[in-house]
Amino acid sequence: MEKTELLIIGAGAAGISAASAAWDAGCRDIILTDRLPYPGGVLPQCLHEGFGLAAYGSELTGPAYAARLAERLAQTGVRFLPGREVLAVTKEKTAVLSGSGGIEEIRFERLILATGSRERTVGSLALAGTRPAGVFTAGQAQEMINLHHWQLGDRIVILGSGDLGMIMARRFTLEGKQVLAVLEQGESYGGIARNYHRCIEAYHIPIFYRRTIREIHGMPRITGVTVENLESGERELLCCDTLITAVGLVPERELIRGLEGKPWLSLAGNCSRVHDLADSAAAEGTKVGSLVAGQLLK
Amino acid sequence: MKSYDVAVIGGGLLGCFAARNLCRRKLHIALLEAREDVCTGISRANTAIIYPGYDHKPGTLKAELCVRANARFDALCRELDVSFSRCGSLRVSFGEKADAVLRKKYENGLLLGVPGLRLLSGEDAQRMEPSLAESISSALYAPTAGTVNPWELGIAACENAAANGAALFLSTRVLGIRRTEQGYQIETDRGHFSCRAVVNCAGLQADRVQELLFPSPVHIAPDAADYLILDKATGNKPSHIIQYEPEDGGKGFNAVPTVEGSLLLGPSERENETDFAVSAAGLSFVRERAGQVLPGLDLNDTIRSFAAVRPNPQRPDGSSIGSFVIEHPGLAFWSLIGIKTPGLTCADELGRYLADKLAAELGAEENPAFDPCRPGIRRARELPLSQRAALVRENPEYGEIVCHCEEVTKAEIRETIRRGAVSVDGVKRRVGAGMGRCQGSRCERTVMELLAEELGVPVTAVRKDGPGSEILEGGHGKN
Repeated sequence: MEKTELLIIGAGAAGISAASAAWDAGCRDIILTDRLPYPGGVLPQCLHEGFGLAAYGSELTGPAYAARLAERLAQTGVRFLPGREVLAVTKEKTAVLSGSGGIEEIRFERLILATGSRERTVGSLALAGTRPAGVFTAGQAQEMINLHHWQLGDRIVILGSGDLGMIMARRFTLEGKQVLAVLEQGESYGGIARNYHRCIEAYHIPIFYRRTIREIHGMPRITGVTVENLESGERELLCCDTLITAVGLVPERELIRGLEGKPWLSLAGNCSRVHDLADSAAAEGTKVGSLVAGQLLK
Repeated sequence: MKSYDVAVIGGGLLGCFAARNLCRRKLHIALLEAREDVCTGISRANTAIIYPGYDHKPGTLKAELCVRANARFDALCRELDVSFSRCGSLRVSFGEKADAVLRKKYENGLLLGVPGLRLLSGEDAQRMEPSLAESISSALYAPTAGTVNPWELGIAACENAAANGAALFLSTRVLGIRRTEQGYQIETDRGHFSCRAVVNCAGLQADRVQELLFPSPVHIAPDAADYLILDKATGNKPSHIIQYEPEDGGKGFNAVPTVEGSLLLGPSERENETDFAVSAAGLSFVRERAGQVLPGLDLNDTIRSFAAVRPNPQRPDGSSIGSFVIEHPGLAFWSLIGIKTPGLTCADELGRYLADKLAAELGAEENPAFDPCRPGIRRARELPLSQRAALVRENPEYGEIVCHCEEVTKAEIRETIRRGAVSVDGVKRRVGAGMGRCQGSRCERTVMELLAEELGVPVTAVRKDGPGSEILEGGHGKN
């Protein structure tokens, strides 16, 4: 069994920042692991700009921001183990990793969980209607389009106007697809103002407030959704061939179920709470990394 | 023209088990399924309960088969290498009328020889299952009740039939049936099949398939029902199957702790609806009942909702038939029409029953080469770490987790495709990828790539489930 002073699970903005900060603070025995084969987590699929204003004073794209984080990581002696899924973390301070290279057990003194968040899905909404092809979460669509150049559909409805919803509305528009509507149940868009101006306003994408989806139509492919006006109660059918759901992020903490509050465990980034900006998740990673390193060095 | 001894029409649970049991005899079997995969009609949505058998009238085939099937279920699942959880059931009541129903069921169960039944006070039931509502007045405990994954079971039966020589014809829709000197000729959209015997397990179409040659005195009036699934990590999950006995004689309700670890809630009932569309009213009913019976559940942990369709058999005057309808309209022609609860429980026994009847008619001998065992898909997550490590050394793809929620590896997904999965949902039905809390949003892309690679098709041809369900649609014919 391998041993390390500090294990960090998740090599996104928060995890890399935590690892780098812990190294800078003097910790010399750090393992950083991620299920993806490369560092950066979700950043490489975020082709849009808007990253790094706080950290680097300039607006970077996701891949450029990830590259900066990776550069910083490379300057440390942190051992990076990509392409490994952590199967379990035990209360005996051991993590079990699985990858194509084998099953590894790592015993640690401290653990920083930086596993990010996952998307809420349409399944959790328990909508009436069919369960057809052509329904994607925004992040899933973003990965398919930006990293794999797949075409999902031509006439798009987006449920939810958080940052991911608005960014994907623009992304589909840039791909030449028709975004028929962004539907938001609140009275205003859900994400930050910058994304509203740059994605929705600048591209004249129709956004409707106080609206939600009540029913999905079509089988085997989606043909439309029933949209309800939450003010008047009126419902109308909106025809589409693709539905994108951007209905929120859930901190990904399944690995530490039952271990919450253990003195050797810290959380950083979106698994702790969902941050609006990668910079803010990274800053939290830096803070937690230095703090944990300081405690280890005592 | 292809020639067989027996043509089984319909590759749902019943057809797959009929084919499996017919293989116990020296017979050449063809299994004809209209869709591109088995277990995709009625069998694709189910309450997943293996019933103890106390519900049915003594002396009926249903009662006999259900009690026997339950007793044999461990052995069946061992043969087919399918997970089975004999978790027991508590049927609970909230008032005197339902208490009386439970007493009747208890006495009926004793008559039928259902083992281990106990009538419990509300307090005793609550001690046994602390998640139950305090207001329950009594409960009927059946330790032999259990649950399986219906897809896993049906697909296992199909694989076992195929391993024993049954020929599987998918995407083969029956259009007509004629009598011939040797028996029957079945016309399909993929050519003709000649056979000595027909077993009609065509599910919602079973009455119409019989009517291709004979009259059917029984008609199917489908009804739909809605279900919710809660995440496996949800709190206050019961450890037994909970069944609600309504005080007003209305709709029942079940909560089933599934073999996957999630909690299945339902059904609601609606009449005369045949599509698999979920109804908002149905979901409200399920939520309301769940709150009443298991008040500590957090329904925000819902990960999926779906609708099931069930085939209610009716007489020409519209009255419902409570028993299993097994029609024998002509020599060596058998139809299962409107087999609903406990069809899943009895699927293998019904198959055995039909196989015995047909064997007698056809004079078929026992097949000494029949092997009842089917090896399941090897699951990395079920192995101890040392064995798991050895497996990864042997095939590194057993180390690559594709479905993070259900811990399904790349090697396991390839295996499902080699065994017949042709769609994203086909992979899900065989190995659970995409069944968990993220509902495939993180693994679907990789599953699609593996399907494309293994099936030798472009990723744009990969389907969710069946023709027309291609997942990528954008720009077709436009760019």
